[in-house]
Amino acid sequence: MSAGIVDIATAKPGRTIGNDHFAPIGLTDAWIRRRSGIASRSWLPDQTPLAEVAAEACAPIVTRMDDPSSIGALIVVSTSVRQRVPGVAQQVAHLLGLGPSVLAFDLNAACCGFVYGLAAGLSLCDGDPARPVLLCSVEAMSRLVDRTDRQTACIFADGSAAVLLAHRPEFAGLCRTAGCDGSGAGLMRETDEGGIHLEGAQVYDRAVRRMTEAARYLFDHGPAPTVLVGHQANGRILEQVRTFTADLGVPFVNRIEHSGNTSSATIPLAFAEELDAGSLPAEGRLGAVAYGAGEAWGGVSVDYRVPATTAC
Amino acid sequence: MSDIESRIADTMLAKLRERDTSLGPDDLARPIADLDLDSLDMVELHQQLERELQVKGDLAETAGFAFLDEFTTYFVKLSSRG
Repeated sequence: MSAGIVDIATAKPGRTIGNDHFAPIGLTDAWIRRRSGIASRSWLPDQTPLAEVAAEACAPIVTRMDDPSSIGALIVVSTSVRQRVPGVAQQVAHLLGLGPSVLAFDLNAACCGFVYGLAAGLSLCDGDPARPVLLCSVEAMSRLVDRTDRQTACIFADGSAAVLLAHRPEFAGLCRTAGCDGSGAGLMRETDEGGIHLEGAQVYDRAVRRMTEAARYLFDHGPAPTVLVGHQANGRILEQVRTFTADLGVPFVNRIEHSGNTSSATIPLAFAEELDAGSLPAEGRLGAVAYGAGEAWGGVSVDYRVPATTAC
Repeated sequence: MSDIESRIADTMLAKLRERDTSLGPDDLARPIADLDLDSLDMVELHQQLERELQVKGDLAETAGFAFLDEFTTYFVKLSSRG
């Protein structure tokens, strides 16, 4: 008996920003699509608290549970939350009405945060198999970028998604690989002036290599995933990883066109969209791979069985 | 043209044709700046040549190339080192 994903839900309450929004800074729809594969993205209102957005994503899962008081831990992953004290996780727990015995904490590993969160959450499940773990990524990257920066403004987006991790008799064990290299910290970093500095070509190269390696590791060291979901960083990166993992014989998800790069939230958002669209069965094995600032990278494969309708 | 040079040419031509299907072998001699290739195309080409030839190159070197011929010289040399 092992832990896996037993429910999933999303929230994208912001307004849709089309590519024409970036015409004033000299970007055309054709250029953005070619460079990133993105046609539109969602941006939250500037004042909306991220705790509320995370709670909106988590709420359907909590509602569907027979006994929400059994939740043992709540992990809120975010790289764009600006208020550090108090933590977002405690606020989300309060908004959801979760009991005082919940271990609630924030986690930041930039775009790799959901994969790190999965690894941490599944380990917590193994430590206390009777208590499920709620894992939620919430991002407002539109607040982090310089909206006049031609390189990054059109790429990043906002949204939230949550999964419930719990033990099931039929689930196989998790397989994971993860790592970091702080010597690459300068490749992607928040600048003192505001905005995100990206060394585009190097990041592209390293993202493709790391996610391809992580995907192959998951196939070589555990039960074969039935679907691969990579961090939705950029459509060009995703297509290159898809090419380089084509021999693995499973779908590689690219849902960036109408979502953009929501940092740590991209993997659960893309996974949920595929499930919602009926492109994936309600049970299988997810291989999640990511690369992001830090540098941090990793991959996790985990069984899932979710309610047939997860759309929120 | 050697087998390796031929495989490099095929890989480069496939990359060019992703942008413009009318391009042919003669276009491989044109300056990169005259072709419809962006900086990510150059990274993709570098990675595809590494994969085709099973070698590891240095992106910092190939990023500065002005002509596709330079990829040929570079990757032939890498391949010859085994």
